[in-house]
Amino acid sequence: MLDKNYLWRIYWQLAGVIMLSVVLALGVVSYFSHRVFERELVPETEKKALTVGASVRSLVLKATGYGFDFAQLHGVEQTFDEVFSENPEFASIAVTDATGRVLYARGKEPESVREYFSRPAVLTVLETPDKARDAVKIGSQYIVSMPIVSPQKALGVLHIGIDSAFVDRVLLEVLLDVLVVLVVSLFFTLELLNFMAGARLASGLGEFTRQVERMKGGDFTPSGRLRVNDEIGRLLRWIDSAIDHLNVRYETLSGEIRRRITEATPEQREQVKPAAMAMEQLRVTKKFGTGEIAPRAEETDLNRIRAPLFAFILAEELTRSYLPSYVNQLLVPIPWISPQVVIGLPIMLFMLIVAIGQPYLGGWSERVGRRKAMLVGAVLATVGFGGTALAVNLYDLLLWRSLCALGYGMVFVAAQGYVLDRTDRINRAQGFALFIGAIMVATVCGPSIGGILADNLGFRPSFAISALMAFLSILAIIRLPKEEIHGPTMAPSRAPKLSEFMALLTNARFMTLTGLAAMPAKILLTGVCFYLVPLYIVSIGNTQAMAGRLLMVYAIMMVLVVPFAATLSDASMKRERYVALGLVISGLGGFLMLFSDSFLVLFAVVFLLGLGQALSIAAQSALVGEHCQEEIRKYGADAVYGVYRFLERLGNALGPLLASLLVVFWGYIGSFVALSGLALICGILFAISMRFGSMHETHAPDSSIGVPRL
Amino acid sequence: MGTIRIRFILVALVVGFFAIGMSAFLNFFKYKSTYGNIVRERVLVVGRGVENAVQASLNVGLQFTELETLTPLMKREKIADKLILGMDVFDDAGQVIYSTDDVRLKRDVPPSWISAAKRSKTTEWYAEDGEEVIAGISLKNNFDLTVGYLAMRYSRSYLDRASVGVGREILVASAIAFVVVAVVTPLMLIVVIRRFERDLHVLETAVTHLEDGSPPPAPTGSAFDGAIASLRDSLRGVREELDDVRRKLDAAK
Repeated sequence: MLDKNYLWRIYWQLAGVIMLSVVLALGVVSYFSHRVFERELVPETEKKALTVGASVRSLVLKATGYGFDFAQLHGVEQTFDEVFSENPEFASIAVTDATGRVLYARGKEPESVREYFSRPAVLTVLETPDKARDAVKIGSQYIVSMPIVSPQKALGVLHIGIDSAFVDRVLLEVLLDVLVVLVVSLFFTLELLNFMAGARLASGLGEFTRQVERMKGGDFTPSGRLRVNDEIGRLLRWIDSAIDHLNVRYETLSGEIRRRITEATPEQREQVKPAAMAMEQLRVTKKFGTGEIAPRAEETDLNRIRAPLFAFILAEELTRSYLPSYVNQLLVPIPWISPQVVIGLPIMLFMLIVAIGQPYLGGWSERVGRRKAMLVGAVLATVGFGGTALAVNLYDLLLWRSLCALGYGMVFVAAQGYVLDRTDRINRAQGFALFIGAIMVATVCGPSIGGILADNLGFRPSFAISALMAFLSILAIIRLPKEEIHGPTMAPSRAPKLSEFMALLTNARFMTLTGLAAMPAKILLTGVCFYLVPLYIVSIGNTQAMAGRLLMVYAIMMVLVVPFAATLSDASMKRERYVALGLVISGLGGFLMLFSDSFLVLFAVVFLLGLGQALSIAAQSALVGEHCQEEIRKYGADAVYGVYRFLERLGNALGPLLASLLVVFWGYIGSFVALSGLALICGILFAISMRFGSMHETHAPDSSIGVPRL
Repeated sequence: MGTIRIRFILVALVVGFFAIGMSAFLNFFKYKSTYGNIVRERVLVVGRGVENAVQASLNVGLQFTELETLTPLMKREKIADKLILGMDVFDDAGQVIYSTDDVRLKRDVPPSWISAAKRSKTTEWYAEDGEEVIAGISLKNNFDLTVGYLAMRYSRSYLDRASVGVGREILVASAIAFVVVAVVTPLMLIVVIRRFERDLHVLETAVTHLEDGSPPPAPTGSAFDGAIASLRDSLRGVREELDDVRRKLDAAK
């Protein structure tokens, strides 16, 4: 009826226009900033050149003071080299004699500078050595000239050339961050289009399409829904009105026929009969009247979860790129534990609390209500972020991060429950696409922006911004509908029992999937992305912003590749191959670190990790349903998926621990390689077990088994 | 103006504000840090001269606490560069041994200076103390052991003055850019959104004439043509059936 991509085409066109104007605006701001930077930074660099020049000049005067010939000094060029290494914005240095002839020179001289050195106007500097002079631009350099005058006579002139492109270099560094801002803006635009306009629009157009379909099928019962006062709402009201009029006509005719039949004589009844039969035919083939309208949540209710979830997850994601460095700053010595391991403790504790808490928090959020559970979680996390911003040392930091973890677990599980409660088998995938979409967009935007904030504002204000984001999520949660909806077919979720846990842990099929695929993937993810990358990138002299950019690469790979990989793996029904291939690709990345330790290689490592994870992530959980049907029948889907998710999240907690231990023994590069090696070996073993082991026998997926909550 | 159009324009304004705001933020902080670094490096150049003098004295066997020429040297350097408010040399315990300001002698430096010096991975360190910014150098002897620390104090207001001025200029430029975005983007959006609004208008016109028996609108190429035709067919069908019932009922005397 209506092209499914119709709205998305509009979104992309709108996003294109918005991005175009944003790019132009950023270009204008950058151009203006360049002018201001050049105007303000060049004079300050001139002052620095004068100070450096004074230092060089004093060395020269010292040497000539000992009686050395000014024209034959040794080591002057070497001194110039030292100056260059300490002052990369200097492009050339030269010393001339009193006639302007160059005696010593280093660096890239601008064209015609030698002619400039010998100009009488330049040499007047020797006559009035105490008079300050402005730098002169020759070619691409600002030349600062200083007289070298001994108590006896004027010896010559020292010229330092400042490369005017140094301002460009400064702005180039900003440009990388501006690019990040652009990418974030694009995702932000799509998210806002969906949140501020699209959700209602999609819901309205969906409702219109359904209404048309219902009427085509002969259903003329009124929808009984309140219409929003916008364009779509108004036109839906017109359709409602047409339906109401039909119903009135139908009721009037029915009443009249009934009355005429009741009041009529037998002959008259015969005359009314054709009308009554036509009416009966209408009643059988069409549906009129108020009817029984099944209570169903508005789609906009479902969409309303997106904003608070996005804001909340963003609060946590903002911290990803700099949390380890912050922990490093608050480090206190703990006996018998290496500082590297201690740095990983808060991340590990966070993941562990989320892993242990989630099976129980699901049932709890069902009891207290999803909205309330989300509120409690968001409040706890807000306090946690605030406390983290003010943390005194590692010990209280651990407490605050535990609060954040508990809040994260609560909000995550309750939001998931909210989606489950408001969807059925028909639109559950759509509901989870919305849920995962909000998380993925937050994952793209969070680490990169967090890194920029940490670099410029510092760690503590950045955590305060996370607290603010978590607080904003509270405001959005308050706006969620207060009425709880419990699907009639939904059994209450439960945590797996210990006996089921043990049985599944000793089940070869289940553990092949979990131990060789899910856990290593998560260990590699958290070990590399959450622990190694933020610490290593800073250790090689880069910034937190760079760590954020790298983590953004991972998230973008997930956003771009997961939908395709999921579709392809579902269509081909060869999910095992996607899982094995994904593990092998993500495992290969770390070995690149053996060839070079540059950040570009690290970029490739994160790219491959993102690609590998994206290929395997969707297929992994689908494989549980495919290969563990027997276990699901025996213990129930809740128990099997509960244990699977628990072990997967345990992998999340183990990642930073393993990575930190490996750093202690083998350093950063060794840790990258070892973690990647683990994933690679697991990928190969997984492929072998799928080809030859207990998993070899292919199971057709049982469509009756639904994948329970994530 | 329709509410949908207003919402789309609001999105553009929010995104524009975010992107331009972040860009202004980045440019301002980049300027601030670059300017701060240039000033710090300039101060450190002076400091390295003092460091060389200390090391030269230590090389000839003088004790670190017996460097009589150090204070006059520091005073000369301070006079040479007006940016520098003062120089202190303090020992490992934080007690000032030499200073350009006599009143500071024998006093303790703030603990943040010592921790900044000890935390630094190079010989250079940096700290802030109220209205003063400190650029420091760890002084080492021949055996690469730290014997003390040189701290050069300069005014934070010198940095702030430059930052405030530039910050204001960047803010003005960003505000102008945002105003331009706020004016131009809605116009551009209206062009893009026109097709969608035309589709909606066709739909709205069609549904407002559902009951007046007007002839079906000619297909416009709108995305809703199929839906409109289906809607009209459904209504026409049921209306004809109701008309048929009415006719039969009226025919019955």
